[in-house]
Amino acid sequence: MDPETEFLSSKRQTGNEWELFKENVRPLKRGRNVDLLNHALKAHTNDQLKKSLLENRRRLIEAIDEYQGDDPLQPWLDCIKWVQEAFPPGGDFSGLVLIYEQCVRAFWHSDRYKDDLRYLKVWLEYAEHCSDAEVIYSFLDANDIGNTHSAYYIAYALHMESKSKMKAANDILNLGISSNAQPIEKLRDAYKKFLARSMRRPNATEEELKEDDLPVRSFGTVLARGESQRQAIKTFELGRNKLKQDQVHRTPLSIYNDTNMDVMRGHHSKPSTGSNSWHTLGGRAERNKENNAMPAKWTSHKIPQRPVPRIVGAVASSQIEVFVDEECEEKPKVHDEKDRTSSLQLRELDGRNIKKETELLRENPLRNFPSNSLPR
Amino acid sequence: MASRTVAKDIITLRGSAAIVSEFFGYAANSILYNRGVYPEESFAKVKKYGLPMLLTQDEENEIVGKEWLEAGKLQRVVMVIMSKATKEVLERWNFSIETDSDVVEKGVSREKSDREIMREIQAIMRQIASSITYLPCLDEPCVFDVLAYTDTDVPVPFTWIESDPKLIANPQMVKLHSFDTKIHKVDTLVSYKNDEWDEQ
Repeated sequence: MDPETEFLSSKRQTGNEWELFKENVRPLKRGRNVDLLNHALKAHTNDQLKKSLLENRRRLIEAIDEYQGDDPLQPWLDCIKWVQEAFPPGGDFSGLVLIYEQCVRAFWHSDRYKDDLRYLKVWLEYAEHCSDAEVIYSFLDANDIGNTHSAYYIAYALHMESKSKMKAANDILNLGISSNAQPIEKLRDAYKKFLARSMRRPNATEEELKEDDLPVRSFGTVLARGESQRQAIKTFELGRNKLKQDQVHRTPLSIYNDTNMDVMRGHHSKPSTGSNSWHTLGGRAERNKENNAMPAKWTSHKIPQRPVPRIVGAVASSQIEVFVDEECEEKPKVHDEKDRTSSLQLRELDGRNIKKETELLRENPLRNFPSNSLPR
Repeated sequence: MASRTVAKDIITLRGSAAIVSEFFGYAANSILYNRGVYPEESFAKVKKYGLPMLLTQDEENEIVGKEWLEAGKLQRVVMVIMSKATKEVLERWNFSIETDSDVVEKGVSREKSDREIMREIQAIMRQIASSITYLPCLDEPCVFDVLAYTDTDVPVPFTWIESDPKLIANPQMVKLHSFDTKIHKVDTLVSYKNDEWDEQ
């Protein structure tokens, strides 16, 4: 009997927490396991289950440190997948951004994983959580990571499209096609869709989109960024400007912000005046000033550990204990380690620190990377 | 404890078959829309089951004819979503049907409130739309197929061909709500491919 027939005739039921709490669940591209999802949703109100969640996390973090096999990326992926399942809303308190960051940083200079699709996917997910992912895509480009995969070009081009950089998006997709990235059909198809969208663009105003009163079709709007950012394209470029510049102060327009995706915060720190001139060097140096000024190790940035009560924050419960402080050595898998990339240290952070770290990383995703790894 | 008298309606075999057949049409359209199989522009909004539902304009919206249902010979309807490029099966929407054979054989009718049936169907439609919560993103062009599982002694109209079941290996499965007209009971299950992060 096939598994579906078997399930149907067994009269087993699936829990309905997923539907009851669906607003608290961030969809994942890869889909979710509904039993794990229901379990995680229940855990936020049930102490017994919460304990088992914490146990699991401890186990997975230990597994990363203790791994002896020949695919050190795997335990990281297990841990990432688990965090995604256990914290359905995602969000700044889940520590997801931190773990993406540590994972990509652990292997960025590894030849072994340059073309590994799984590794690329971690980067791409990290990029989706950042205010301005362009620096990530440039980094991948400069370090030859993932450039045999269509997913890289598609994500990069979508990002450029969201910034209305249509020529750049066009060039990126073409580059992918001429490099024969795989799977090539997917890339060609993405290019066709991109062309169709760019032809519609001059007419797509926000008013036009608002009149579309079909029931909201969430397919594609959370996960396929090109479509969802049609609405925000006009407002994206005029975000708040962090630099002390006396340029024309643009009033920040209200940017549609899906609470689960903070990528559209519009922290544009380039000193351009809105034309597309690239004051590249100045902008980058300014943006990466934390790295240039202090190329110190991650370990030296100790956030003062204050014994504050745990913050409730975005997650329903405040009692979830977070990363356990464990001193651990970086695996000797790293060969040419001229620059000490920071040892992997999952420190004890309370809810507020995870949130703070996450916010810092969102703004500057490569802040912990050694300065010589950054694209010029 | 207070009791409530719910007005019941008479359900005949034909009436039930009509309800079920109509349900399949709307469910198929909802799946096509929510999963992005057809572009948004091909759909128009209509009111049905107390919800805004969508129907494709240019297609025949009767997915499964009523004859099989009236004869009590239809066991299951499966809507399959496949990758257009590779024909790999990505999702299966599985509707199994139990028919009250007494009704088929003896022509009796049953009683149930129409509104209650509609509420049950509404719950399923809501779940279909909410399933994006856990379903993997379909980011490639897909095609849609309908499979009907019937009793073997049933004449098959020429519009249908024999097929293999197009199963998913090691599927993730989620059971959704059911509805029951007291003559036909329809259970819903959606199955989908396991997560593919680990694929190289």
